[in-house]
Amino acid sequence: MITLAVKVGMIQLCGCSGCHISLLDLHDKLLEVLPNLEIVYAPIVADPKEIPEGIDVFLVEGGIRNEHDEHLIHEIREKSKIVIAWGTCAAYGGIPGLANLYTKEELLNTVYTTDSTDNKGEIPSEEIPALEEYVKPISDFVKVDYIIPGCPPTPKMIADAIVALLNGEEPKLPTKIVCDECPRKKDNVFPEKFKRTFEGKPDEERCLFEQGYTCLGFATRAGCGAKCPNAGVPCRGCYGKTDKSLDLGANAANVLANAGEAALAIPDKVALLNRFTLPDALINRKVK
Amino acid sequence: MGKIVIEPLSRLEGHGKVTITLDENGKPKDVKLHITALRGFEQFVVGRPAEEVPRIVPRICGICQTAHHLASVKAVDAAWGVEIPEPAKKLRELMHIGNMIHSHALHFYFLAAPDFVLGVDADPAIRNVVGVVDKAPEVVKQAIALRKFGQKIVEAIGGKAIHPVTGIPGGQAKRLTEEERDELLKEVDQMIEYAKNGVELIKQINEQYMEQIKTLGVIDTWYLGLVKDGKHNFYDGTLRFLSPDGKEKVEFKPAEYLDYIGEHVVSHSYVKYPYYKKAGYPDGIYRVGPLPMLNVCDSMETPLAEEYRKEFFDIFGFPANQSLAYHHARLIEIVEACEKAKILLEDNDITSDDIKAEVEPKAGNGVGVVYAPRGVLIHNYETDENGIVVKANMIVATTHNVPTMEKAIQQAAQEIFK
Repeated sequence: MITLAVKVGMIQLCGCSGCHISLLDLHDKLLEVLPNLEIVYAPIVADPKEIPEGIDVFLVEGGIRNEHDEHLIHEIREKSKIVIAWGTCAAYGGIPGLANLYTKEELLNTVYTTDSTDNKGEIPSEEIPALEEYVKPISDFVKVDYIIPGCPPTPKMIADAIVALLNGEEPKLPTKIVCDECPRKKDNVFPEKFKRTFEGKPDEERCLFEQGYTCLGFATRAGCGAKCPNAGVPCRGCYGKTDKSLDLGANAANVLANAGEAALAIPDKVALLNRFTLPDALINRKVK
Repeated sequence: MGKIVIEPLSRLEGHGKVTITLDENGKPKDVKLHITALRGFEQFVVGRPAEEVPRIVPRICGICQTAHHLASVKAVDAAWGVEIPEPAKKLRELMHIGNMIHSHALHFYFLAAPDFVLGVDADPAIRNVVGVVDKAPEVVKQAIALRKFGQKIVEAIGGKAIHPVTGIPGGQAKRLTEEERDELLKEVDQMIEYAKNGVELIKQINEQYMEQIKTLGVIDTWYLGLVKDGKHNFYDGTLRFLSPDGKEKVEFKPAEYLDYIGEHVVSHSYVKYPYYKKAGYPDGIYRVGPLPMLNVCDSMETPLAEEYRKEFFDIFGFPANQSLAYHHARLIEIVEACEKAKILLEDNDITSDDIKAEVEPKAGNGVGVVYAPRGVLIHNYETDENGIVVKANMIVATTHNVPTMEKAIQQAAQEIFK
């Protein structure tokens, strides 16, 4: 039997598998996409244990947290024609990158001394890969051909990228920002005071940022359909920066600074402005 | 003396490997399960405003993110002493049930079913959901429909199907519109039918694989589940331990979990080994999830599921201790989840606008518990007077199960290498 299917690999490194699940969320459309793919390696859904040679497209979910992740990303690069950073963790480090606000030792000490732990302070080390000092995006280790950002990327975004590659085209990402997709009305004013999400009841129609909620839509790549602002909660930047931006956190800080003194009162600015992208930021960890 | 390493463990989320050390006769001497990844959420939620944490912790798991979102926001409510409006509770419960339907359908049909539908000896290259599509397309069609329904519920209430965002201290950020409710209500009877088909399917599979079910992964452990007035409950209630022989029941409030649950650090796994404190470690290791949930409850919450529960114990005995019976229990829970979704969708409160109470951040300590798809899930945060997290503890569903998973693998290895 002659098959024209593209050989695909999929893996979750330091991620949560949400990107894999988002692919499954194509639901019925999955049955149209699947016949075009020959899934030759994908631990989450299939049993092959070895990464075979000659993979056409490898979708990598998750960043690099430990030595095993690092080993795998090199092996994946060697055996694949196209490597895609699939989702925000692979592209920018994602939520696990918040660990970069602490040292590896602090992290291990906290985890193994929680209130429910009886033999506090013993650190596991046998037959498990050692943690790297910090979380990093996969592009810190290998050449990445494309990114599909998002936490997770929408099913449509993933399908569009796969279809583009099947047609021999380059996957295209949105170049605009979340505000461009957000239906909320803007009056182009700066808030005089910032609120935390539980404070007050936001007007359903007006821009959340202009109402004083720390929405990061203005610094974040479009593509999600402004899901969070549509659900009444501010954007946290999960699609990362746009092509023209060097650093999401710096861009966002720049805009917030226009509000003057009020911006200084925002709690936990470092993890707000770098919620999903700290490992990719210009300053990508806590500097003592 | 040899060593067998199975890595990566496949058709599951997360990272693990199994090592089997053999003695000179080729018999397993030492069998270990290693959980090989650590991210450290308990550290990096510290310093974050507590209302942001329900937006961070869903990334613990992309399959059961809703459970983390809700256990987390419940913990913040508890730490700040907030009582949320009744309609918000119902919205959260329905959102949670949507996640259970999606995740249970995924777990059984996409991850487990390839072994049964294609057979355990099938070529690993085709033993996956694509293979099931070829062999049993109607089964996959119904599985996809169930998942889609579950995800649609989560998206309608939570804003996003994966990593929902609407749970905020004091209640919910978004109401469910009448149109959204009607749209879901239209499909629910069909879903109940599909769920019933699932139970019929697993009964056929059980007959075919009864030999394996009765021999592999059969272990005696404690069981932990969530009950409300003694009934099986996905979202709320009290925690209940059941002894391995099914005779002793111990009930406690989520806020008291530290008196009952301990965790033991082992050297070969990033995951700590939880145990029932009164029984000590390792005698007190226990299982969570669908099988223990059925074992610990007095009855199911909905009528069809209750009939199936009785039938389940006729097949497996009480308490059911066969690890492979988890699948059957899980499929019964899909029935209950669909029935419960219908009840909640028909409740007038579900489209109410009274979904958010006033909240003041304060210093406190709160525990939030739900029954996540893999089992009891515990989040516990301590906040300072500004509502910033200063300490966190989480015992996630699969963590509870790791020591007993290892025990079941040890038992299965002894059996297979006999």
